[in-house]
Amino acid sequence: MTNSVAFTTVVDDIDDEALDDAVKKRLGFGFWVAISWIGLVSLAALLAPWLPIADPNEIANGAPRDGILGDNFMGTDALGRDVFARTIWGARISLGVGFLGILLGIVVGGAIGIAAGYFKGLTDQVISFVVFSLLSFPSLVLALLITASLNRSFLTVAMTLGIVGIAPISRLARATTIQFAEREFVQAARVIGAKSRRIIIKELLPNVLVPMGALTLLGMGISIVAEGGLAFLGLSVEGEAISWGKSIVDGSQTRDLNQNSHVAFVPIFAMFLTVMALNFAGDRIREYTDVRETAF
Amino acid sequence: MARFIARRVVQLILVLLSVTFIAFGALNFLGDPLVNIVGPLAAIDYCDEVEAGLREDSYTSINNSRGDCEIIGEAKADFGLDKPVIQRYFTWLGNIITGDLGTSFQTQLPVSEIIAQKLPKSLMLMVMAQIIALAVAIPVGVYSAYRAGRAVDRATSVASFGLLSIPNFAFGVIVLQFFALRNQWLPASFDDTSIGTRIHSLILPATVLGLGIAATYQRLLRTDLLTTLQEDFVHMARAKGMTDRHIMTRHALRPSLFSLITVFGVSTGALIGGSLVIEGIFSIPGIGSEIVTAVVRDDFPVVLGSVVVIATGFVVINFFVDLLYTWLDPRVRAS
Repeated sequence: MTNSVAFTTVVDDIDDEALDDAVKKRLGFGFWVAISWIGLVSLAALLAPWLPIADPNEIANGAPRDGILGDNFMGTDALGRDVFARTIWGARISLGVGFLGILLGIVVGGAIGIAAGYFKGLTDQVISFVVFSLLSFPSLVLALLITASLNRSFLTVAMTLGIVGIAPISRLARATTIQFAEREFVQAARVIGAKSRRIIIKELLPNVLVPMGALTLLGMGISIVAEGGLAFLGLSVEGEAISWGKSIVDGSQTRDLNQNSHVAFVPIFAMFLTVMALNFAGDRIREYTDVRETAF
Repeated sequence: MARFIARRVVQLILVLLSVTFIAFGALNFLGDPLVNIVGPLAAIDYCDEVEAGLREDSYTSINNSRGDCEIIGEAKADFGLDKPVIQRYFTWLGNIITGDLGTSFQTQLPVSEIIAQKLPKSLMLMVMAQIIALAVAIPVGVYSAYRAGRAVDRATSVASFGLLSIPNFAFGVIVLQFFALRNQWLPASFDDTSIGTRIHSLILPATVLGLGIAATYQRLLRTDLLTTLQEDFVHMARAKGMTDRHIMTRHALRPSLFSLITVFGVSTGALIGGSLVIEGIFSIPGIGSEIVTAVVRDDFPVVLGSVVVIATGFVVINFFVDLLYTWLDPRVRAS
C-alpha cells in the first residue's frame, strides 16, 4: 500500500501515521497477532492426538445436537460428536493439505518458472504455453478434473492443490527471474565464467525466493479454501478423515443449519480466522520485502 | 488490428486444443480409463473368469439386456483403447465438435442434453453475480478513491479485506442460515416456476458470489482512480471549476477501468468455481450440482463433458475480454 499512501497525500490530507509506517516499514502489531494465531492453530493441529479433547469420531460423545453452551465445549453435531474436537482434528488435514500443496506448488512452479525466465527461447515458449493452458481452467475445475478419477487420500488432495498452484506460481517466478536475469551481478557472474547452475542457485534463487515467502502464506490460505471447495463437491479426503471443509459440509444440511448452526459455524470461523491471518501476514511480508504489487 | 485478431484466434485455437487435451488426459492417465468410460462396472475383473468359462456373465448392468462383459467389450472396441492416445484424442475431439459429449452412465441421456438443460441456470446465476459485483464495486470504489484515507475508505478496505478472506462457501452457508432459514426473508432454494421466481430465488446466491468479486473490483478501481487523479487533466478540470462529482464520474472513471476489465475475465474463473460450490448450498439445479451428483455416482462422461464446456467457455470469454481491452487501449496493440 506504499503507493496508495503516496497518492493519498496529494488527494487528501497527509496521514501521518500511515506515512510513518510506510517509511519505517514495520511489520506491525497486526502481523504478530496473525502469526500467533497461525502458530496456535498449527500447534493444536500437530498435537491433536495428545490434547485433552474428546475423540472426534466418537458417536454420541454427548447428546446429539447439543448447543454451543451445552455440556460439550462448543456443542455436538447431529451424531453427538464433539464439535470442538472435530475442528481441531480438521485443522490437521486442512493445514496439512494446505501446507504440502503450496510447498509442492512452490518447488515445482518455482523451478519451471526460473527455467523459463532464465533460459528463454524454446524452453520459455513451451513452459509458458503449458502454464497458459493450465491457467485457462478455473482453478476449482482443474482440481475437480484431477481428483474426480483418483482415490482421494490425504496425499492426492495435497498433490492436487499443489498442481493447481504450479501455473500461477511459475508465472510469478518467471517474471521475477526475468527482472533479475539481466542485472549487473548476474552478468558479472556470467563474465567470470559461472555455469548456468551456479548462476541460478547462487544469484537468481535468493532473489526469487523473496516474493515466494509472501506467496507461501497467501497460497496456503488459497489451498485451505480450495480444500473446502473440493469438500463441497464431494472431492476432499475420503473416509473418516476430518477436514474443515468436510465439517462445514456436514453442518450445512438444512436441518442442522437451521437448529444447530454452530456445527457449521465453528469450523467456518476457524477457517475464516486462519485464512484471514494468512492473507494478512502474507500481505505484510509482501509490503515489507517491497515486491512490486500484483493485482490479485 | 486484423493481424492482431488473426494472431489471437490462432492462439485461441491452440489453447482450446491444449485445454481439451488436458481434460482428456485426466480421463486417460488418472485412474483406469476403462472405468472412466464404462463406469464402475469395468473395475470388476471377472470378465477374464467369464471368458475362461468359470462363471456366467451376469446381467446387473444398466439396461439389463446385455451382460456386463459384453458392454465392457463393446466399450473397449468403441473407444479403441488399444489405439494410441493421440489418435483417440482426435476421435474424441471430433465427437465433441459435432456435439457428441457421450452418454451418462446413470440416466443414459446424452451429456449434451443434460448440459443444455442445466447450463442456463448456472449462467443466469453468474450474470446476476457480475451485475451485483459491478453495481456495488463501482460506486464504492469511486467514493473510496474520492475520499481516500478517510473513515469510509478505511471501513471499505477492512470490509473488502474480510470479503476476500472469507471462502465463498462459508459466506454462502452463513447467508443461507441468516436470510433464508432463521429469518425467511428470501428463498433457500431455486424456484423454477417463472422468470420472476427464478430471479427472486437467485438473489441470495448471486449476492454471495457478487460481493466476493466486488471486493477485488473495488480495490483495483480505487488504486487506478488514485493514479488517474494525479493526472494533469484532472487538475485542469478542477481548475476550470468543475464539480467533484462531474470530475469523478465523467473524467476520471473511464480511464481507470482498464484493470477492472482485465480482471473481469479472470474473475469469471473464480465465479465459475464459486458457482459450482454455491449451487449445492442453495439447491440450484445447475452445472455445479450436476457435477457433484455425477462425481458421487462415478458418472465420468458427465463430469468430463461439463468440465470441457466450462473450460471452453472460460477461454472464449477471456479471448473476448482481451480483444475488448485492446480495442479500448490502443497502446496494448502496439506492443
